[in-house]
This record gives sequence, C-alpha cells and structure tokens, in this order.
Amino acid sequence: MRSVKLLLRLIRLQIRSQLQYPASFILEVISGVIIMGFYFVAFALTFSRFDNIGGWSLGEVAFVWGLAEFSFGTMDMIFSGFDYDAFGPMIRKGQFDQLLLRPVNITLQVFGSRFVLRRLGKMIEGLAIFIYSLTLIQVEWTAFKLLYLPVLVVSQVFFFGSLFVIGATTTFWTMERLEILNIFSYGGNEVMSYPMHIFPRPIRMLFTYVVPAILLSYYPAVYMLGKTDPLGAPAFVSFLAPVVAAAMFWLALRFWHFGIRNYQSSGS
Amino acid sequence: MKPIISVQDLSKTFKVYRNHKGYLGAFRNLVDRKFDLVHAVDGVSFEVQPGELVGYIGPNGAGKSTTIKMLTGLLVPTSGTMEVDGYLPWKQRKDCVRKIGAVFGQRTTLWWDLPLTDSFDLLKHIYDIPEDVFIANYNHFREILDLDPFLNTPVRSLSLGQRMRADLCAAFLHNPSLVFLDEPTIGLDVVAKQRIRDFIQFINQKKGATILLTTHDISDVQKLCERVLIIDHGKILFDGKLAALLADFGGRRFLNVEFAEYYPEVHLKDAEVVRVDGNQVVFSFERKTISASKLINRLSENYRISDLEVQNQPIEDTIRQIYEDQLLYNHPYDKRDPAP
Repeated sequence: MRSVKLLLRLIRLQIRSQLQYPASFILEVISGVIIMGFYFVAFALTFSRFDNIGGWSLGEVAFVWGLAEFSFGTMDMIFSGFDYDAFGPMIRKGQFDQLLLRPVNITLQVFGSRFVLRRLGKMIEGLAIFIYSLTLIQVEWTAFKLLYLPVLVVSQVFFFGSLFVIGATTTFWTMERLEILNIFSYGGNEVMSYPMHIFPRPIRMLFTYVVPAILLSYYPAVYMLGKTDPLGAPAFVSFLAPVVAAAMFWLALRFWHFGIRNYQSSGS
Repeated sequence: MKPIISVQDLSKTFKVYRNHKGYLGAFRNLVDRKFDLVHAVDGVSFEVQPGELVGYIGPNGAGKSTTIKMLTGLLVPTSGTMEVDGYLPWKQRKDCVRKIGAVFGQRTTLWWDLPLTDSFDLLKHIYDIPEDVFIANYNHFREILDLDPFLNTPVRSLSLGQRMRADLCAAFLHNPSLVFLDEPTIGLDVVAKQRIRDFIQFINQKKGATILLTTHDISDVQKLCERVLIIDHGKILFDGKLAALLADFGGRRFLNVEFAEYYPEVHLKDAEVVRVDGNQVVFSFERKTISASKLINRLSENYRISDLEVQNQPIEDTIRQIYEDQLLYNHPYDKRDPAP
C-alpha cells in the first residue's frame, strides 16, 4: 500500500513537471494525434477502392485498429519506464544503480521512473478511430460484450506491456537497443491492427504461437462483431485474451527478475 | 563492539568478452565468444567499526568501486563473505539500503527533472522518515550546505558543486548508520571542497555515522580520515593510520638553495641534486638519513649561501610514488597473503 502511494506520488510529480508548459504539451498531443491518425486515413483511402478485404469491411477493421491503438497508447504511457529507448540509457548511465540503492521494490520504481503523458495523443487517436468504426458498423451489443470490452483493453495493455518488460530486460545483457524486439512490439501492434487472415500462413503461425496477438485482437473481434471465422477455431478462443495476457505478463516478470539478478552478478 | 562492515576474502571476477571485428565478427560473437577473466577484487578482508571515518584509496581500476558496489548490494560477489550492518547486501537489499546512504560524485541520486524540494520530499516517503526527524535534518543540512539559493531549481540546471551539496543532503536525511562517499569532491573548487569536508566531518562526529570515503584527492583523506585502506590490483596493500604510512614513505624532503655565487659543481653528502637553475639548486634528502640543520651546516662550510628553504614532499607525490613504484609490495605492511 505504501509502495502504491509512492508510485502515485512519483507519477504525479512527473505529470506536474510535464505540464509546466501547458501550451507546448497540448501541441505535442495534437500533433501526435494528427501524425498517427494519418496512417489510418491513408489506410482508409486505400481501403475505399475495395468493398472489403477478406470479408472485413472498413468499419470492422477500424474497430480492431482503434482498440489496439488505444490499448497500445495506454500501455506506452503506463509502461514508459520499460520503454527500451529510455531503459537502455538508464542502464548505460548507471541510473539503474540508484534504484537498487533505495529500499523500494525495483519494478515499482521503474514504473515510477517515467510517465509520458503525451501518449494521450495515441489514446485519443485510437479512441477516435474506434468511435468512427461504430458509425460505420452496427455492433449488436449485449451486456456481456460491454463487460468484455474493458477486459479486452486491459488484456491488450498487459500483453503489450509484457513485450516492453521483455524488451527492457534484454538490455541487461545487451546494454543497448535490440532492433529485433521492435519486430515484436511495434510490429505486433501493426499486425493486431489488421484482420489476421490477410497475412499468409507462416506469419499467421508465427504470431499465433510466438506472439499470440491474434488471441487478443482478432478472435475477440470475431466475437464482438459476430463474424464467422474462416479458420474455423472453436468459440472459446475469443475469450482467451485475459488468460493469454496474464500468462504473458507473469512470464515477462519472471524474465525481468532473472535479468535483475544477472545484472547484479555481471555488473557493468 | 560489533563491526558495522565486516568483509572476508571477498572477490569479484568479471568476464570480459573479446569481440570479433566487423559484420561477420558480430555473427561469430553469437556462437564463438572468447573471454578474459578480470579479478577486480581479489580476496579482500577488512572490518570497519561503528563511527569510523575510513579512507579507501587506490589507483584507477584498483577495485575501489567494485568493492563499494558489493557493499551496497549493487553487485553479487564471486566469492567470500560480507556483512553490512548485520545484513548480506545483495540478498537483503531492501533491509540493507534502508540503513545506508551513498553519494557517487560522478552521478546524482536525485530526480533529474524535479526541483530539489520535490526530490527531498520523495526521499522522505521512500525512506519513511518520521516528520520531525526529516524537518530537523532538512533544516539543519540546508543551512550547513547553503542549499536555499537553489531549492526550487531542477537538478539538471544545478552546477556540479550545488548538485554535490544537494546529493550529500539527500544521502543523510534518513539518519543512515553507514554512508559510502565515492569521490564527493571531484571537480570542485577549493571553497566548495572545504564546505563538503566540513559537512562530512560534522556528520561523522555529531551524528556518529560511519563513513567509507573513496577519493583520488589525498587531501580529503588527510583532512578527514585517521585510517586508510589502500587497494591495488584488487588486493588490500595497507590498512592502518595514514600518519604511519607517511612516516615510512613520506620522509623525502627538499632543500632549495640560492648560492651567493655560481658553482659549476656542487657536492653534498647524503643529498641528491634534483634540479640546477643558475645559482639555484634543489637537493632531495631523506628525513631518516640526515636532519635539515646538519645538511645546511655541511653546505655552508663549503659554499656561500644567500637564501634557502626546506620543503616536505607533498602527500600527493608520496602516495603516487607508493602506487607507481609499488612500494608496499612485499613491505612488512603488505596485507596480501604471502606468495606460495
């Protein structure tokens, strides 16, 4: 409890210092929305030449895309400390040692070490795309679907977050950015934005087994939008998202703690 | 009394990988990596009693920071045992660091973007410092270290001297029983150095905190520490009073003479000519061999002198000589195990 209070205090102070220049902060958020939203606009314009791709309409794609984008933005804000663009330099400059010198849980301190509020831009953009999708398609909402939606977002946040934690952990060994992990997180983000079966089988297999992103995005969407799955998976697959995310996050934390122990005994 | 630091046969060995060069080499590195073993700390043993202020010195790469990192739980030792305030640092990290403080001269422990007051306030919550203790310490340190002019400045905009004062304040707010100071005066001017030394002395004497001071500035050690540990190549070479060390090795003195006339050749028993510059000659001699007065008498019997001055060798030079000429190796002081 004391640690949670401390975490909130750390985050609050960072928000305060980021809001020191409100005008520039707002501009940053807006430009973020525009730049990232442009990807979707370009995609939508291309899409408009076809009625549908693989049986998915633009609205349905936007539904998946918006959700993933919103989750990723949220994750990118909460897990800012684990972003290897920030965590790599932290290790290299020896700032991680400072965390080890404080009588507070390390993981919590890394969460509190960085909180990038301007990621709101990506969240707003994702939300806008999601809302836009609802104007194009008629989702038949049920109570369970409304309940499952936030669960899905939380699952996606933790799933993406796990990739960030794993990426940060590798810097204990490499001490520098590993481009290959970019494929996993930012790459995974792109894949989750598209309906799955547009991709050829090998990639589909890779991301079903290596990065089970499909389970967090495609199959839940199949259920939400009442689509029939051309791959013919059983219905429960649509509800594996929270299980997969929890398992992934647990694994990521195990790896993270293993990394810290290795760091302490290799000490660079 | 139970020692606050107790270290036995502590060693830390690093694997240093030799990388293959070039693009192809990068792939070879993945499968075929060769490494060298570096014994950064090699069988170190010592004890520190509560309330001591010990200087821990040695040339670059001697193993000083590696020792400190093990004592603060940042590194896991390869072998050996240690106890810091009753804890095994790397295993009982949280319990251990609650009671200790650390200042690393090269980098700050404070939050880069936050004003100092916010940093201090965070530390209050991190260490769970009772309000009255915090206020008393904070007000007191603020005054001694003269922090008021920049309390609302973010750390990134502070000068090195200001930052160091802020870091010192931060390290002592929670009344640690043991503090590691790593180069606390590096890069500072004389006035700033003195202020920091005064503060260290105050904390040690008035607050009774045990301090292990690592430094390259021998005058820090001379002014603050009675006891020094000298480490080189990962081994402790000397553990004792600085005064004893200086008595043994710091006996070199210099005699600067200005002769009344020019002598092409000057001979003086028990002294060596170091430098000749016209009528000015500098001799060096050992305190143990001959006294200054005897030497001057001997000189004035044969030559006409217009002025002279006797100087002791600066301590920095003595210590440097000890490092460079490895004077402690196989000396009775040598703390290493005898060679097999």
